[in-house]
Amino acid sequence: MAAQHYGAILAADFGNTHTRLVLLDLVDGAYRLVARADARTTDNFPFNDVRVGLARAAADISRATGRRLTTDEGDVITPEQPDYAGVAYFVATASTGRPLRALIVGLVPDISVSSALRATAGAYIEVVETLSLDDRRSEEDMLNAVILSRPDLVLIAGGTEGGAREPLLALVHVIEQAVALTERPRRPVVLYAGNSALVPQVRAAFDGQTTLFIASNVRPALEQEDLDSVRQRLGQAFDRYVGNRGSGFDSVGRASASGVLPTALGYETLVEYLGQTSGDSVLLVDVGSAVSTLAAYRRGAASTVIRTDLGLGHSAYSLLETLGSASVARWLPFSVQPGELENYTRNKTIRPATVPETLRDLYLEHALLRAALAALLETSRPVARNGGAPPDYRTVIGSGAALTRTGSPGLSALLLLDALQPAGVTALFADPHGLAPALGALARVQPEAVVQTLDSGGLERLGTCVSLTGQPRAGRPALRVKVTYENGSVVEEQVAGGHLWLCPLAEGESAQVDIRVLARGAAVNGRGRLRLQLIGGRAGLVFDARGRPLPLANTPAGRAAQMPQWIAQAAGAPLQEIDPRWLKPERAEREKPAADKPRPPKNPPSNARRRKAAAAKAENDSSDSEMEDLRNVLS
Amino acid sequence: MYYPDQRHMMAWTTVRRERLLPEDAVGTVEVRRGQTVNLTDVIARGSLPARYVYVEAAAALGLRRESDLIDRMLVELGETVDPGQPLAGQADGRGRRVLAPVGGVIAYIGRGRIIIQTRPETVELQSGLVGTVTAVTPNRGATIEAFGALVQGVWGNGRRAIGALRAEPPGGLEAIYDDSIQREYSRAVVVTRHPLTAASLNVVAVQQVGGVIAPSLDAALLPQALAMSAAVMLTEGFGNMRMGPQAASLLEGFAGRPAVLDAHQPGRWDTVRAPEVIINLPPKSGGRPPAPDVDRALSPGMTVRLTREPHAGWHGEIVELPPAPQPLANGLRVPCARVSLASGETVVVPLANLEFMGR
Repeated sequence: MAAQHYGAILAADFGNTHTRLVLLDLVDGAYRLVARADARTTDNFPFNDVRVGLARAAADISRATGRRLTTDEGDVITPEQPDYAGVAYFVATASTGRPLRALIVGLVPDISVSSALRATAGAYIEVVETLSLDDRRSEEDMLNAVILSRPDLVLIAGGTEGGAREPLLALVHVIEQAVALTERPRRPVVLYAGNSALVPQVRAAFDGQTTLFIASNVRPALEQEDLDSVRQRLGQAFDRYVGNRGSGFDSVGRASASGVLPTALGYETLVEYLGQTSGDSVLLVDVGSAVSTLAAYRRGAASTVIRTDLGLGHSAYSLLETLGSASVARWLPFSVQPGELENYTRNKTIRPATVPETLRDLYLEHALLRAALAALLETSRPVARNGGAPPDYRTVIGSGAALTRTGSPGLSALLLLDALQPAGVTALFADPHGLAPALGALARVQPEAVVQTLDSGGLERLGTCVSLTGQPRAGRPALRVKVTYENGSVVEEQVAGGHLWLCPLAEGESAQVDIRVLARGAAVNGRGRLRLQLIGGRAGLVFDARGRPLPLANTPAGRAAQMPQWIAQAAGAPLQEIDPRWLKPERAEREKPAADKPRPPKNPPSNARRRKAAAAKAENDSSDSEMEDLRNVLS
Repeated sequence: MYYPDQRHMMAWTTVRRERLLPEDAVGTVEVRRGQTVNLTDVIARGSLPARYVYVEAAAALGLRRESDLIDRMLVELGETVDPGQPLAGQADGRGRRVLAPVGGVIAYIGRGRIIIQTRPETVELQSGLVGTVTAVTPNRGATIEAFGALVQGVWGNGRRAIGALRAEPPGGLEAIYDDSIQREYSRAVVVTRHPLTAASLNVVAVQQVGGVIAPSLDAALLPQALAMSAAVMLTEGFGNMRMGPQAASLLEGFAGRPAVLDAHQPGRWDTVRAPEVIINLPPKSGGRPPAPDVDRALSPGMTVRLTREPHAGWHGEIVELPPAPQPLANGLRVPCARVSLASGETVVVPLANLEFMGR
């Protein structure tokens, strides 16, 4: 198919903390990433208008390219003007803001309700209520549940084609009643994806009352599921929801050729496109501030998992609450202080865009990131995982600032390897420019632009990783590697178990790699000897001889011996050893809430008495500390 | 250009605040544009969604057809009814009658049934500012403009307090147990430079302090802070942080002035406003004060607040904005500014960890 060149393409992705803007244009007949910029998302106080952030990022691009992109009001100029202002094509994706509150209606929880839930898995949706035939509540209670849960969307599924009608109609009538009793501006959108024979009755119930979308039956037969149509309609419902939310999204949606698409849909479309064109399995992960997303393409099917409870900013505390302290602390090379994780995540929630400045904070941040990635992968079972074995994705893409803006391609690669633990040979990519949602949004309408942008390095290739499966003994020879560069030069290395080795190989260059597995019971792609032609990247070639599953130590002291070394090996940075004081279990009592009925002290201490008490306490603390040191010396 | 987060701290500014009823409330606005309002004036009243109660009236009356109910109705759609009030039956009082099981509003009549919406909980929205109404949001509230000092925090417990601003006594909040001191602090908005403790929160609750502005508290104390009727606002965050000297001095300088502490609790998806304290001040000669400059990009010379360890809560002046990302001690490499601190030290700080205070 001939390339359908439109001219310059502007793509905006509105995340919860950042608005990312990329400009693609034709350079020597092919699309290239010409400029990119980001700014803080401004859908909240004090602006309440996403166009402010959009205009700021656009102004940065304009300064770099000389092309004016927005009007004074922040609206994107489209189509391209004779004076070189504006763009031919604008696409927008968004993941910012509160997820759509959805109420799911179906006949049988294990059949239609479960299909409806699967259909919503790729959308920014929070399921607030479910109605089904198994519901033991009275009709009155169900009506109140619908109204008081204040859904933005009601998704009705149920009934196979040609199957029962009356039970579903009874539930439809409850929704109809609830919609009629809700003030018109606050009425939920209704999406019907049930027995198509009921469409006329559904239209009669909701037409003129609220916005109604009709999709194909999500469960046309007991053994058949059709998610595509309902997902498409969910995308439209999302666009409408985002547009109705105000904050300038209505204007952005009008300028965009396809409305405002969910960012996750962009991810899914991109991995599907990459998977279909390469024939390989592809995994994309993004741990954002409020939402985490996994999009996977495997065995001819694409799927997405969204977790609105996992994130490193707005959802940092929710992540801790959901996954528990142990899931995070297992990635820390020091003893966690009482309350440290809760205070850290609460502070991230109130200042979501901040970045760690101290080593301890960086470990905390990356522990949250690793825990979120591992949980995402776990949620995606069985779609993304290879049964109980490590994932066998040939391509892994990391998106989001936490994964891509580490300052070191090796560290970005290490974070992906730690949490996802891919086995065999894996190409690792990062998306530092936030291009992935845009490319996904363009994949169906401008495939040539996507191919050409990817070919020109739109995604940053971190490198190729060879991961050893099995449990090589730490410190013993695990891999013998011989890398023969294109210029004929050779590098040989023996990698010990429990270690990583990064071999420099520039992005776009390839080398012949001979691998011999030395560790007993270990293998690469199930083999002991391999000859591979591998492509380099910004981190080069990564040989991970730590084993699978990753033998992460169970104690902080054990991890203090492992993790700084892994980071130093991956990032090519000096070893930053863990301060031994960090390994001591915390002795201080954490502040406890007071009793319900507090009683004032009869004789509040005078300042002099307080000072005396404080001095005595300091003395005690000091002697405690001395005792501790003495114990350490003796031990 | 980098536009930093903003958390305003200004001694004399114009404050415009949109006061709105809760999102799910149905209400009416009781002020008009240009009207002057006082701190406690009610600017809007609304009602929150309430339960619906079904009354199967056709069945109760023994009607053969559901459609016959409409002829037996004794009340109309939208009418307010009291518990026990006849809803349907014979107009002359003979025969069977259907009585209202609850008080409320008739929300629906049809299909042989009556649906009553129980009496909703009403909410009143106070102005919280001495100022002028500059815009009205139909059914929701109004925007009020006022002049004074403004200090925004990072977290609040969802309460609001109006009272005289007081610096904590020399012995700290705990010293408010002393009766002679207690009278001065009762219903006041108290500023403490120290992290809140279980004991100090206790004192605030028992001695009926109206509100407290503190730098931080341990997250373990959140349940206690959230259960209090006093308003609690944090200026720095969670953990054991002290209040920056600039914020403390600014607030303490207004001791004795009436203050409105709006300890808004930021939600994960709701960051439409920040918790803040506003100290209304009388107009000065020289016209209206400038509003915070919300569209200011980071530039050398600008005074900023540092938000993360090891300099959390410190203020400094931007001396340089290096064009390339800078390495941090922990190995990260991110866009940074060089900031001169009051101590004379110059430090490299990630742009994302800087906040602009309004001017």
